[in-house]
Amino acid sequence: MLKKRLIGVVTVKDGWAVQSFGYRRYLPLGRPEVLIENLDRWGADEVVLQCIDRTRQGQGPDFALLERVARKGLSTPLIYAGGIASVDDGVAVIKAGADRICLDALLHDTPASARLLAERLGAQALIAALPLSVEAKGLRWLDYRNGQQQPLSDAVTALLREGVLSEALVIDWRNEGTPGAFDARLLDQFPVADVPLLAFGGLSEPGQLRDTLQRERVVAAAVGNFLSYREHAVRLYKQELGGLPLRAPAVERTFPTPT
Amino acid sequence: MKRRTIGIVDYGVGNLASVWRALHNMGYRCRISSERDVLSETDLLLLPGVGAFPAAMQALHACNLVTYLQEQARSGRPIVGICLGMQLLADTSEELQTTAGLGLIPGQVQAIRQARWHIGWNSMEVLGDDDMLRPSDGQSLYFNHSYVFEAPEPYRAAVARLDGQGEPFTIAVRRNNLVGLQFHPEKSQAAGRTLLGNVIEGLCRA
Repeated sequence: MLKKRLIGVVTVKDGWAVQSFGYRRYLPLGRPEVLIENLDRWGADEVVLQCIDRTRQGQGPDFALLERVARKGLSTPLIYAGGIASVDDGVAVIKAGADRICLDALLHDTPASARLLAERLGAQALIAALPLSVEAKGLRWLDYRNGQQQPLSDAVTALLREGVLSEALVIDWRNEGTPGAFDARLLDQFPVADVPLLAFGGLSEPGQLRDTLQRERVVAAAVGNFLSYREHAVRLYKQELGGLPLRAPAVERTFPTPT
Repeated sequence: MKRRTIGIVDYGVGNLASVWRALHNMGYRCRISSERDVLSETDLLLLPGVGAFPAAMQALHACNLVTYLQEQARSGRPIVGICLGMQLLADTSEELQTTAGLGLIPGQVQAIRQARWHIGWNSMEVLGDDDMLRPSDGQSLYFNHSYVFEAPEPYRAAVARLDGQGEPFTIAVRRNNLVGLQFHPEKSQAAGRTLLGNVIEGLCRA
């Protein structure tokens, strides 16, 4: 049976892993590769590495960081986000060690590129990263570079509907970093049916995670800051979420030695 | 005892470093290459792959590796295909267009019927009593694909289901010295690496 996933998110700004609070205020946590290694050891189902200043600064993907992460020899699937502005960027990120990529600014600027990326990498490698909020006029999609909000564009809606993008990372950017604050209306009002949703931003409490993961469309819950507050947080969360179709929490990591 | 050397076939597609590091951490020597001479000096060929089938076959042709892999398979050399690398072992694929594969294990690659994608961790149901796979029966492994290898029953080694009572689909195939794994053992934590070690050792000892 296909399991629902508990995803660990590591947010990187200026090369350092940070605790983010609504993408407005940040506290340093340390070296990203060390945090990712912890999530790998603790048995996260996937890890999202999001470098939030690469596009804004026109720097492209952080290949140096990807190289440092690759050297750790992760045994957990890695999703990379940040600075992917072209097909070549996306292909290079996969070659550098990511298993899947999140597209954000590219979906605003050149959504047609997603089709070319799907031809090269397969749709299963592509995730739409969508910072959303519920406003008076309904669901709004944020372009974080200029702060403008608009309804989800026809182009992105079509990419999701046609399966060019395999999943949507629904980011509650207003509540990101605030314990227990995730706005479930983002999931309920998501305009494209049959798109698997990953929920992120303000998910911290077991009861809230349970409620989120019990929704049929939600295939994963992503947790950022709150995984950094305690050792083996992934395993503890999974124990608290008993009864949900999650992969059993990792107990230990042992590898066979060839004879 | 001599450490085994794994030849990772480099045809310009996918994330070879992850496979290399997984095997390295498991104690194997690895050679990443598209050169026949280099690959021929290894104990087992590993065919990785990420992306779309037509582009991958095009890349294998461009590297002049199609005939080489077919000859190696027929000579009895152990070969393991992972994810797209498994699908390349098939006769044909319907991904984007009809494309001929390596034709090493009978079957066609077709869009998964049960859903648009199969992404995430799923349990493996091992068919038969294959010693290499049997210890991993029931283990959760990481999948990321939208096409499946529809293999005839004799070559089907393991299946998975989207839900408990759902229709099973093939996730592992075997034909003598050839094994295909639809999941990513290198990204399936301890369960994946244990399985990969068992497959490598099982094929090399056979």
